Amino acid sequence: MKISRRTFLKGSLTTLFLAGTGLPVYSSNKAKKNLVVIMLRGGMDALCAVPVIGDKNFEKRRKELILDDTIKLNSDFSLHPVLENFHTLWKEKQGAIVHATNIPYTERSHFDGQNLMESGGKIPYKVKTGWLGRGMKVAGLKKEGLALALPMPLILRGVPQNNNYYPTKGKLPNDKVLALLNKAYKDRSEAELLDMLETIKSRPKETSYAADDTYSLANEAGTLLKKPDGPRVAVFEVGGFDTHAAQGGVHGTHSDCLKEMDLIFYTLKRRLKEEFDNTLIVTLTEFGRTIKQNSGLGTEHGYGSAIFMGGGILKKNQVYTDWPGLKGKELFQGRDLNSTIDSRSVYASAMSTVFDVDFKTIKDKVFWGDNLQNLSDKLFKV
Amino acid sequence: MKNFFRKIAFGLGPDEKIPSDPLTWATSQITDKIPEFSYKGKIYSEKELRKHYRDWVYNDRKILRKKFKKDKMGYKAAKNKLRADTGQKFWRNLELAIRQKEATKGEYPVLAKLWYFWGNHFTISDKDSLANYTTGAYQRESIRANLNKTFEELAYEATVAWAMIHHLDNGENVGPKSEDARAEWRRRKKRPATINENHARELLELHTVSPNAGYTQENIKELALIMTGWAPDDSKHKTLLETADVKFQRKYHEPGKKIFWGKEFPKSKKGLPAAIKFLVNHPSCREFIAYKLCRYLITDYPTKEMTDPIVKAWEKSGGYLPEVHKAAIEVTFKFNDMHNKFQNPENWWLQMSRMTDAKWPPGEEKFDNFILGYGLDPYQAKPHRFMKDMGHHPYKSKQPNGYSDIAEDWMSPELVIRRLLYARQGYINLKPDNKNNEFYEKVVINNFDNPDKIMSILNENQKPIDKHILLFNLPEVIRA
Repeated sequence: MKISRRTFLKGSLTTLFLAGTGLPVYSSNKAKKNLVVIMLRGGMDALCAVPVIGDKNFEKRRKELILDDTIKLNSDFSLHPVLENFHTLWKEKQGAIVHATNIPYTERSHFDGQNLMESGGKIPYKVKTGWLGRGMKVAGLKKEGLALALPMPLILRGVPQNNNYYPTKGKLPNDKVLALLNKAYKDRSEAELLDMLETIKSRPKETSYAADDTYSLANEAGTLLKKPDGPRVAVFEVGGFDTHAAQGGVHGTHSDCLKEMDLIFYTLKRRLKEEFDNTLIVTLTEFGRTIKQNSGLGTEHGYGSAIFMGGGILKKNQVYTDWPGLKGKELFQGRDLNSTIDSRSVYASAMSTVFDVDFKTIKDKVFWGDNLQNLSDKLFKV
Repeated sequence: MKNFFRKIAFGLGPDEKIPSDPLTWATSQITDKIPEFSYKGKIYSEKELRKHYRDWVYNDRKILRKKFKKDKMGYKAAKNKLRADTGQKFWRNLELAIRQKEATKGEYPVLAKLWYFWGNHFTISDKDSLANYTTGAYQRESIRANLNKTFEELAYEATVAWAMIHHLDNGENVGPKSEDARAEWRRRKKRPATINENHARELLELHTVSPNAGYTQENIKELALIMTGWAPDDSKHKTLLETADVKFQRKYHEPGKKIFWGKEFPKSKKGLPAAIKFLVNHPSCREFIAYKLCRYLITDYPTKEMTDPIVKAWEKSGGYLPEVHKAAIEVTFKFNDMHNKFQNPENWWLQMSRMTDAKWPPGEEKFDNFILGYGLDPYQAKPHRFMKDMGHHPYKSKQPNGYSDIAEDWMSPELVIRRLLYARQGYINLKPDNKNNEFYEKVVINNFDNPDKIMSILNENQKPIDKHILLFNLPEVIRA
């Protein structure tokens, strides 16, 4: 099947090309809504995760990496076969994809790219806070962020007293020691350490062994997000997508990473139960990968990628795209899937919807008034 | 002033004499000869450890997976036995003990702190079980052993080290017009040879000039072509798989003229050393390294005033590392009182251990007693477990850019909890005779300019363990 961009625009896919222009979004639903971000580090290969069906330009460049047994989503796109749980969400109209999207960054450095995907900025390392942290601050969501990681990722910085969970075992010092430390930090104006100590006060004094695998972290996140007074924002990290060699097809490194992402979707759905209806999960990556495989059966750093979305806040199951095509001249710099949607439009719309803040405020205060599209009413139940 | 001993090293032990001339104390540790390790137990070569890695890879991939294809439990048991037989959980602990003894007991703690910097600069991240076998040895043999040479020599040795070539996939970097590209099997399998950009990109971005130099995607591809052919030698022993020594192999190398960044480079084997020479002499390289050294030692946000003397020392000496290091030490000393540098978890842990003369790392006898095929005793397993739990295992960085030097990246409730918990562990590691209140006076006097103030805070607690936890979580310790 030969698919042209025109077919996509006319056909079964919904284009975001003419999406809404920033009308304020106010929710009448006062139930607690959760936003979960899964950061896919290393450059997620959207053409492996959500392959295009029947495109000869794709197939001839990916001979060894073409997947068997993909899961058909519609006439144009399929899903990597390990994404079984995401497919279940899709079938329940709680899964959707934005394809051919990326942050506005084209230089292909992981580290600059990851810094920008988290900060939302345009110059690497210039912005010291994350778009999610700034969004939470605008929404007044103090103490509502949870990172499922040992460090506090940049994406959450910018709002005080975020928490994180990464279990260890041991016994915290007694209250007197903590109080003396508190005083010492105050005396030395150590605001961040004070902030952390404040958060630690609510922790159990003694912890025993707990697993720190992805399932266990997602399980804990689900438990906490479900609580009415629990966090409203959670951030996961899945690494290892940088597959320059031995990327694998149905099995292999890239597929293992996708499986890990899939497990997070599954566990949150299972754990959150009915609260999943009030939850939105979105993924984030620094760039996609080249359409062409290399001789080590891997792929190189690219540009356009995709966003997976899950949860009951989604409007419907859909692959949203303004498909750029995969012919040589349609590729970015002749090698990469192009990006036709600034992924920050999706994230700004997600925050606007989940945090009940109008889109323009998010756009202006979080993304410096950049030219982002309000996609809230296209993608989400608003 | 006494914080300088922590800023540039790991502080002073309770019985160490306070040097009257701290700057000379520090610079005198930078010599033309790399000293022997303080660790006196058995040390294995990278090549020996790579053999264990080879046994692990070969037996798992070529034998066990086939033998137990239909027996999941049998495969699991056989794989666990293979882990034990190849020392998978042992080498990383041994290597950490060798590494960390330099900081806690060694006579050259300044050199140790700089070694850690360079190990992180030329990171081997956590990939393919490398951390379990060869990363520690790579950091000894390819990094520390070259700290008395020029940066050019260090960069070359790190680039062609087996661990780096494997880690950044240069073994898969094949010239599209090379001899191998014309191989029959490629035609048959329709697998044309292509470059692999990974190593070239990181050589530019992380190891030498940084993105500040303004190179392009085209430059990355040009450098990748020059790097084709540098791969594990696959000409002799097929059972070595990807673990053979790295050798330049003409059959994988792209023939013909090489243009990189507008300049012509030699063909064949001479291309890579020439490209490295070009990169290390690029102004962005010395500025980048000087900035990183200042960020590691002095402050999260170095100024030009700090980096300039290091850049000058580099230019004057042709990038001779002992001179670059001495300049970095001098700048650190000069700016010592103006900035407090946040200490990353490993350096903090080692400072606590040195300042209190703690029993860390576990002694040589613990490791020399190990027999391959057997499990580890709790002491043998501690170094890996502790560093992993602290989130700062020097062989297990998640990405090739290594660990951050910035305070903000080490600030989270869980990371602060680790400091509180491991300060308790630091107390457990004390020699029994030192678990008393008087001991802390010695520690504080030797390491702080305001001992009375520090002691007045500590004395709010009666128990030595509480004093210990408090001391090593005070801002004065967390930032040197």
